[in-house]
Amino acid sequence: MPDVSVLDSQPASTKYKKIVLKPLLRIMISVLIILGLWQAVVVFFEMPSFILPAPLEVFARLLQRYDVLLKHTLVTAQEIILGLFLGLFMGLFFALQMLLFKPVKHWLLPILIASQAIPVFALAPVLMLWLGYGIASKIVMAALIIFFPVTTCCYDGLRNTPSGYLDLAQTMGATKWQMLRHIQFPASLPTLASGIRVAVVIAPIGAIAGEWVGSSEGLGYLMLQANARMMIDEMFAALFILSLLSVLLYFVAEKLLKKFIPWEV
Amino acid sequence: MKKRIILSAVALMLALPVQAEMKKLTLMLDWFVNPNHGPVVIAQQRGYFKQQGLEVDIQEPGDPSIPAKLVAANKVDLAISYQPSLIMDVAAGLPLIRSATLIATPLNTLTILDNNKIKKLSDLKGKKIGISIAGNEEATISTMLKTQGVNYDEVEIINIGWALSASLASGKVDATWGGFRNFETNQLALEGIKAKSFFPEEHGVPPYDELVFVANADSYDKAAILAFNKALEQATIYIVNHPEESWKEFAAYAPDTLNNELNKLAWNATLTRFALRPSAIDLQRYDDYAQFMYSQKIISTLPKAQDYIPTF
Repeated sequence: MPDVSVLDSQPASTKYKKIVLKPLLRIMISVLIILGLWQAVVVFFEMPSFILPAPLEVFARLLQRYDVLLKHTLVTAQEIILGLFLGLFMGLFFALQMLLFKPVKHWLLPILIASQAIPVFALAPVLMLWLGYGIASKIVMAALIIFFPVTTCCYDGLRNTPSGYLDLAQTMGATKWQMLRHIQFPASLPTLASGIRVAVVIAPIGAIAGEWVGSSEGLGYLMLQANARMMIDEMFAALFILSLLSVLLYFVAEKLLKKFIPWEV
Repeated sequence: MKKRIILSAVALMLALPVQAEMKKLTLMLDWFVNPNHGPVVIAQQRGYFKQQGLEVDIQEPGDPSIPAKLVAANKVDLAISYQPSLIMDVAAGLPLIRSATLIATPLNTLTILDNNKIKKLSDLKGKKIGISIAGNEEATISTMLKTQGVNYDEVEIINIGWALSASLASGKVDATWGGFRNFETNQLALEGIKAKSFFPEEHGVPPYDELVFVANADSYDKAAILAFNKALEQATIYIVNHPEESWKEFAAYAPDTLNNELNKLAWNATLTRFALRPSAIDLQRYDDYAQFMYSQKIISTLPKAQDYIPTF
């Protein structure tokens, strides 16, 4: 656990440097190293641009088509965020059901595990036919892909509350609801946080898979178009934005988690 | 006994030079094996490739945009591609040539349900058209619509991947573009759904070769391509002369996936579409289509047919 009091006692400028500038510098350095390696591979192996375009070409395309890319990014971002909310809600709901009602757990757990064996790519075309080609099918795809990690993490966290806390609460006459609210749920949050971190990173896969199967906008749609028209630099530009989106989502989630679960390391 | 061993050893040695002459060729199809690949499969099944000294390894991709790229990267020798895709690839600087034609007419159609809701192209105004992205749909669909005064932005275009028939049948889209007239129409018919098609070449789009073979422009083996085309021609002639027998031999190639009612219907619908002279070429026709794509801004440079279509 970071020592909050020490941080607070520092002057604002040092704090700003520590919290914002350092990570930013780190990210920029790693990005530069990756781009350098990438450019080196392209030059050294004489890669034709239809196999691997040079980072400079991709960057040029990024600037040239920023309006189109931005439009499709907004669509995909919306799908991912709504999918995250739906998946998190579903995961929490099912984890609570399994904790509170034992028979539910015995029935539900095998189904949950079996559901994970189904690749979303196989399910996607059918989902499109059920839910249509709009945003709903992509939200459900993203939710489906994150649903399992969230459910299991949340359930594990709820289940593994230190028994001393529970015994104490019981001797003090806490009801089932009070135990859940004041002890089990707070104790499960660090584990749940791990589930959320995984969810944030993999949710874009669900959204993009949905767009590949059926859509009229979004980064996945743009990637297919670019690939079909031999504009591989544009496809890489879309991929770059997608990875940026994932990193951004991860750090926002991390910040929020730190804020709401300060006792987590 | 010893004599026999020596004899067979001698026979083996004699056979070796013959085998060494067999040229290995990898061919990647555009999609999983289907009746469009009839001549390739028949040439393989009936040993026409072998007779030409070729050992052809037929592979299937998971994505039709991959094979031509693999040829350009020298990972496979030959691939089946589409004329519009070939022109786009060449315009983008890929080292590709067309080596033969498999199907010399367009197969793509704009398909609608035959339920009197849409009677002519202009009825599609404000409707949803499902496509499986190939890169040139904007050019073709907008040209077709324009012949009846509808603009491209007056319809909603949705990528539906490969669920063409299902999307149309379930009413999620009002029309589909990208289905083949010899396949998807039969697929719908088998499900008891009547469909109707608008053919691009009858609505303002210049005719083109739907399926062509492509090879690497820098490293193609002229002798091997000549041999390959000869076997292909032989197989096509056999199919045309013996439609029933050739269907049986085709279905026997991969009975688990090919021997069914849909493929049989598609086989009969494809018979008349195989290029009877796979090597023959009309450069002007290619230039016309390239010009069409250029004028529709699908390609930004205009390749000349003579540069990517060598005569053999």
